[in-house]
Amino acid sequence: MPGRDVAMAELYVKPGNKERGWNDPPQFSYGLQLQCSGPKRTPLAHRVPGLAHGAPQAPTPVNSAPAVLPVALPSKPVGPPPLAVVSPALRPDTVKQVASLAKEECEVNVEDVLAPLNETLSMCRNAVQKQVCDDISRRLAVFRELWLQGKLSAPVRKRMNILVQELQRRHWDVADEIHRSLMVDHVNEVSQWLVGIKRLIAEARNLPPRDLVANDEQGAGAQPAKEAL
Amino acid sequence: MATYLEFIQQNEERDGVRFSWNVWPSSRLEATRMVVPLACLLTPLKERLDLPPVQYEPVLCSRQTCKAVLNPLCQVDYRAKLWACNFCFQRNQFPPAYAGISEINQPAELMPQFSTIEYIVQRGAPTPLIFLYVVDTCLEEEDLQALKESLQMSLSLLPPDALVGLITFGRMVQVHELSCEGISKSYVFRGTKDLTAKQIQDMLGLTRPVVPVQQGRPLQPQEQPPISSRFLQPVQKIDMNLTDLLGELQRDPWPVTQGKRPLRSTGVALSIAVGLLEGTFPNTGARIMLFTGGPPTQGPGMVVGDELKTPIRSWHDIEKDNARYMKKATKHYEILANRTAANGHCIDIYACALDQTGLLEMKCCANLTGGHMVMGDSFNTSLFKQTFQRVFSKDFHGEFRMAFGATLEVKTSRELKISGAIGPCVSLNAKGPCVSENELGIGSTCQWKICSLDPSSTLAIYFEVVNQHNAPIPQGGRGAVQFVTQYQHSSTQRRIRVTTIARNWADAQSQLQHIEAAFDQEAAAVLMARLGVYRAESEEGPDVLRWLDRQLIRLCQKFGQYNKDDPNSFRLSDSFSLYPQFMFHLRRSPFLQVFNNSPDESSYYRHHFARQDLTQSLIMIQPILYSYSFSGPPEPVLLDSSSILADRILLMDTFFQIVIYLGETIAQWRKAGYQDMPEYENFKHLLQAPLDDAQEILQTRFPMPRYINTEHGGSQARFLLSKVNPSQTHNNLYAWGQESGSPILTDDVSLQVFMDHLKKLAVSSAS
Repeated sequence: MPGRDVAMAELYVKPGNKERGWNDPPQFSYGLQLQCSGPKRTPLAHRVPGLAHGAPQAPTPVNSAPAVLPVALPSKPVGPPPLAVVSPALRPDTVKQVASLAKEECEVNVEDVLAPLNETLSMCRNAVQKQVCDDISRRLAVFRELWLQGKLSAPVRKRMNILVQELQRRHWDVADEIHRSLMVDHVNEVSQWLVGIKRLIAEARNLPPRDLVANDEQGAGAQPAKEAL
Repeated sequence: MATYLEFIQQNEERDGVRFSWNVWPSSRLEATRMVVPLACLLTPLKERLDLPPVQYEPVLCSRQTCKAVLNPLCQVDYRAKLWACNFCFQRNQFPPAYAGISEINQPAELMPQFSTIEYIVQRGAPTPLIFLYVVDTCLEEEDLQALKESLQMSLSLLPPDALVGLITFGRMVQVHELSCEGISKSYVFRGTKDLTAKQIQDMLGLTRPVVPVQQGRPLQPQEQPPISSRFLQPVQKIDMNLTDLLGELQRDPWPVTQGKRPLRSTGVALSIAVGLLEGTFPNTGARIMLFTGGPPTQGPGMVVGDELKTPIRSWHDIEKDNARYMKKATKHYEILANRTAANGHCIDIYACALDQTGLLEMKCCANLTGGHMVMGDSFNTSLFKQTFQRVFSKDFHGEFRMAFGATLEVKTSRELKISGAIGPCVSLNAKGPCVSENELGIGSTCQWKICSLDPSSTLAIYFEVVNQHNAPIPQGGRGAVQFVTQYQHSSTQRRIRVTTIARNWADAQSQLQHIEAAFDQEAAAVLMARLGVYRAESEEGPDVLRWLDRQLIRLCQKFGQYNKDDPNSFRLSDSFSLYPQFMFHLRRSPFLQVFNNSPDESSYYRHHFARQDLTQSLIMIQPILYSYSFSGPPEPVLLDSSSILADRILLMDTFFQIVIYLGETIAQWRKAGYQDMPEYENFKHLLQAPLDDAQEILQTRFPMPRYINTEHGGSQARFLLSKVNPSQTHNNLYAWGQESGSPILTDDVSLQVFMDHLKKLAVSSAS
């Protein structure tokens, strides 16, 4: 299952906040953090025995480079690096080919995303407290508003679109996972309203099956929309 | 088994145990002459992908003083359905459920591959995990905003049925009622007055009112909502309201005049948090998570006054006995930490500020309860944000990497006794036949409580051989130790993990070479370092260095090969070859040297050192250095100034910092832009390789390390230069031009000089 989530998540590394923290480390996206539970390269954990039982003189490294002049002396001009085929011995990098999912512009209509959410909400109305439903509804309105005002970035819109598709397919775990990735990667954009969708996923998953079946008939209309995506 | 190295590695992977000695000296006298105590590093919950827990209760030895768990080392009589305890030799009947066992139909716990086994035992109803946020509001706007977002984010990472609570503090302390009703209420406390647990519970209305029970009508439990429900609610019920509540948090409204610090009531806030959980959920897995952006400045637990012109205590002040609030504050937090540990809860401290925040005084809160300690510059850094996310990381099975309320019990065979433990634990004061009178670390007990732990939490456990000199090698030729860890899994199940190990005894006079060959120098270095750091924290100070030196000299005297008074003849065998340099780097490390570190930083470094597993601890003692060049794959190189070469890139991991350093020529090539020319693609790859390797470390390390990307002559190169062995310094200038490497401007002793002295002292007939 993690494999699948990773495939759908954004993979990127952002620089840390050097303004606020000295040598702040880079920030990894949620998907990338999950990925690290996968296969690892050999860890860099070896040590050289050193000179503990050897002669006391300074060690001369094997195959070391030509001697280097100390800083104080004027350094000689440096030639170019050696021309060579790429050394296969250098470790192949795994993370570099990060797909820039975010870049491609998504042309999704906010109403197409909202409709299934509202529909799920109406399914919940019978079983869930009115106040909770109203609260979710209020957050969906905030979401719509921000989207229409252009305040949501492309990755957020795109991932919301995928989330809604998964919701319609009742892949609750996947939808929940997407919500989590949005929360981790884009908390400043989504913190206000995404919790409503989180709650909606939780409530919908708890609905007795018959409520969902009943909705299947009504929800048939949503089918084509899903195919279109 | 081919080599001891493989044996050691396999044992660590299977049992999470590394012993300093893997063949044990058979008498007390000989054991003390080994210098390094018989001890082990135990990672009680080491991640084991191939260890599915069994769904039944362990079978215990029937002797009341023993109660060891049935294990593969026990002798079994399959016909009579009897087993003999390998610790006390008691013969026990198998329980009725084991009637069908035979040589070919063994229960898992008797199979040799299950020297470590985990049982799921269900007792009583599961209780949800509890997360109580204690949030400082005396923060800059930017920091508060970032913190609020991180807290909101964390609600999505918590288990859905977890209970959450919120306390905020500044000049006052507010305990927030959480409800779905949309009206937020809170109880406000003064930050200057400490309250007893009873007072806190009364004021919060946590004590159940004495309802007169009506005759003939027993009170139904459902009639009253759980007492704590107003302050601690399931996250799935109140996530929307709590998100809003967090979003609306404002900076502490009390004005802070020029030249003053904000009044911050950390001591009272923590006291209320501890009291709240004490009254409502004792002995249930709970985290108190303190987020603070500065030192406590008022009330009990204050660390510094509010006058900015008086700086917070430094090492200098402490030495001069000039740290006014330190003792009193430390006392306050120690009492809180002990109460928290008694309740089975833990306290995390997330301290983000440029100046010190009082970690020195508050450290016991995290150290005694197994909580996390995180130190950053600002809440708006990726260091804090990602470290905080990783608190909620999950394992391969999708389970949280956190466990609660553990008790660790150690049982030994008769020739061994337990001297003590060092790690994130408190004593349970359980006396017993296997408890030694000679204490090392937290002793006089065979049981410890670890309120919170994760798969890497590691304890050092020290033993004493008590077999008398000249007594025969004990029966069976092997000594055994059993570790029984009972804990609350993150899924709220109660589980018991049992590890039983045995090692051979050897007569140290006739079989010293066996004992020597089975020495685990890595484990020994970490175990000695933990003792040293423990001493540095609690007593001596600079004496610790002298003690470590003495131990090292004695070890070299015992195990070195040399002719008396001839230092040049001194040799150590392979199994000891790295040990002296571990000690050399340990002496220079921030765990023993306070120079250039604030008291808070020292507390922070020592906190992490006392809980990490062997690999990470060793990285802290002697950082790892890899060198990248055109001539092949990255290779490990000596942590030495001679490894700093112009045409190399170095990657150094100190656990707390990842440093990438470009040699002089490499830096010039990069400046000239060769990496952008297609024909020099190999150079581009060379530049990229250490970045990728660093990234891999950064992705998994907890807490997130600082990341330093520097080059020859760069100001940040100091992080590398201060760690390498100064084999070339301005003092041995004559070597310049003849040798490669980079001279370090320092008067510190180099490893060579250190070794020379060590050899001289080891071979000296005077000592």
